[in-house]
Amino acid sequence: MRRTLVLFATLLLLWALVSQLNDALAPLRVHVFAGGLFVVFAALTQPRRPGLAATLLAGLVCDAHAPVMFGLHLLLFAAAHALLFHVRERVAREDAISITVVALLTNLALFLLLSFTQIHTSPAPASAWPRLIADLAASQLLLALVTPWFAALQARALGVARVPRFDLA
Amino acid sequence: MRFKRLDQARPFVTLAIIAAAWLIVPTVVKTFARASFFELTAPVAVAASRARDLQEYWGLRLHSEHELIEAGRDLARLTASYEFGVQQNSELRAEITRLESLLRLPSLPAYRYEHARVARRDFSGWWQRIVIRKGRNFGISVGAPVVFTGGVVGRVTEVHATTAVVELISSPNVRLAGAIEGDSRTVSFQGGINPTFGPPMGVVESLPLDVIVTPNAPKRLVTSAYGGVFPPGLTLGLVTRASGGSEGLFQTGDVKLDERLGSLTEVTVLVPVNKE
Repeated sequence: MRRTLVLFATLLLLWALVSQLNDALAPLRVHVFAGGLFVVFAALTQPRRPGLAATLLAGLVCDAHAPVMFGLHLLLFAAAHALLFHVRERVAREDAISITVVALLTNLALFLLLSFTQIHTSPAPASAWPRLIADLAASQLLLALVTPWFAALQARALGVARVPRFDLA
Repeated sequence: MRFKRLDQARPFVTLAIIAAAWLIVPTVVKTFARASFFELTAPVAVAASRARDLQEYWGLRLHSEHELIEAGRDLARLTASYEFGVQQNSELRAEITRLESLLRLPSLPAYRYEHARVARRDFSGWWQRIVIRKGRNFGISVGAPVVFTGGVVGRVTEVHATTAVVELISSPNVRLAGAIEGDSRTVSFQGGINPTFGPPMGVVESLPLDVIVTPNAPKRLVTSAYGGVFPPGLTLGLVTRASGGSEGLFQTGDVKLDERLGSLTEVTVLVPVNKE
C-alpha cells in the first residue's frame, strides 16, 4: 500500500509539472504529452500489483482532466503496463538509457493511439496531423531530457519512504 | 512449463480483467470518480495560478510612480469614452424595451457578468480547454457562454465546486451557429485546426454562394441570434477564405480566430438570469 501511494504521489507531481508546462506553452500552441513516463518506471522495476495500481490511479487523474471517455487513459496505461511488464526481463532495468528508450517508445505508441481515438472530431483530420506531429516531437524531446531524472526521483522517493526500490524477484 | 506460461500471461489476464470490469462499472460510479479525481487535483492548478498572480503583483510593484501616473491618466481617458458608451447603451436598451412592449416581442435573454481568472490552459492538438477559478460557488452553470474583449471564448462544459472547465471555440468539439456581420443568414461554425506557432483556426460551413471572401477582404463572423445560448453579434473570428462545397449549394471556409485565445488570463462568464 505504501509503495502504491509513494508511486502515485510522484506521478501526481509529474502530472502537475506537465500541466503547468502545457499552460506556459499554450500561447505557442505547443503541447507535450508524457504518458510514457506514467507507466515506465512502475512497469519495469516495481512489483505487478502496486505498480499497476499507481499507474491506473495516474490514468484516472489524466482522464479527469481530458474531454475523453472516462477510462481511456486508464485502459491505455494498463495495456502499456501489461506489455512492458511482460518484456521487462529483456530490458536493462537499472540503465538510464534503456529506461529512456522504453519510455520514448511507450510514449510514441500511447500518443498515436490517443490521436487515433480523437482525430475523428476534427473537421479536417488531414490538417490536424502536422500539429500532432509537432506536439509528438516536443513530447519526445521532453521525455528524452526528463526520464532519467524522473526515474531517479521515483527511486529516491521509495527510498525515503523505506520501501525497497526494485522488484528483483 | 505450463505454470511458467501461465505466469507470463498473468499481466495480460490482469489487463483483460481490468478492461472487463471497467466496461461493467455503472456510469454513475464513473461520473463520481471523474469529479472526485478532478477535485483532488484542482487545488494544484488554482495554487499555481494564484502564485502567478502574486508574481505579477510584485512585478508591478517595481514600476515607478511616474509610470503609475501615466497609466492613471490613460485609464481616465478610457473611462471617459466608456462612460459615453454606457450612456448610449442605456438609451438603446430603453428603446429596445419600448419596441418589445410595442410589438409584443419576447425579451432578449439577460445575463449576469461573472469575471473569472484563468487557472490553467490546455491547448493540445486534440482539444482546447481552460480551467477558470470560479464554479458552483459563483452560480456558474453548464453551457454558459464565456467571452473576452476579443469576442467569444467558448462555453462552460464542466462545473466543479470552485472551478469550471471552458471548452474553447478553437476546439473541434465546439459547434455554433454564426452569421456574417450584416447578413442575417445563419452559417455553421466549428473549431478545430490549430497549427503550431500560428493563430487558431476554425471552419465555417453552409456559407451562401453570394458571400465573397478573399484573404485581402476578410469578413467578420459573429454569433447568430439563433445560436442557442450566445447573445447575437459577438465576434467569433474572421472568415479569410471561402470556396465551393462538394454539393455546390453552399461554400465552406476558414475562420481565423483571435490569437489571444492562447494567452487568456481573465474571461467573463455570461450567467443566464432567470427573469421570473
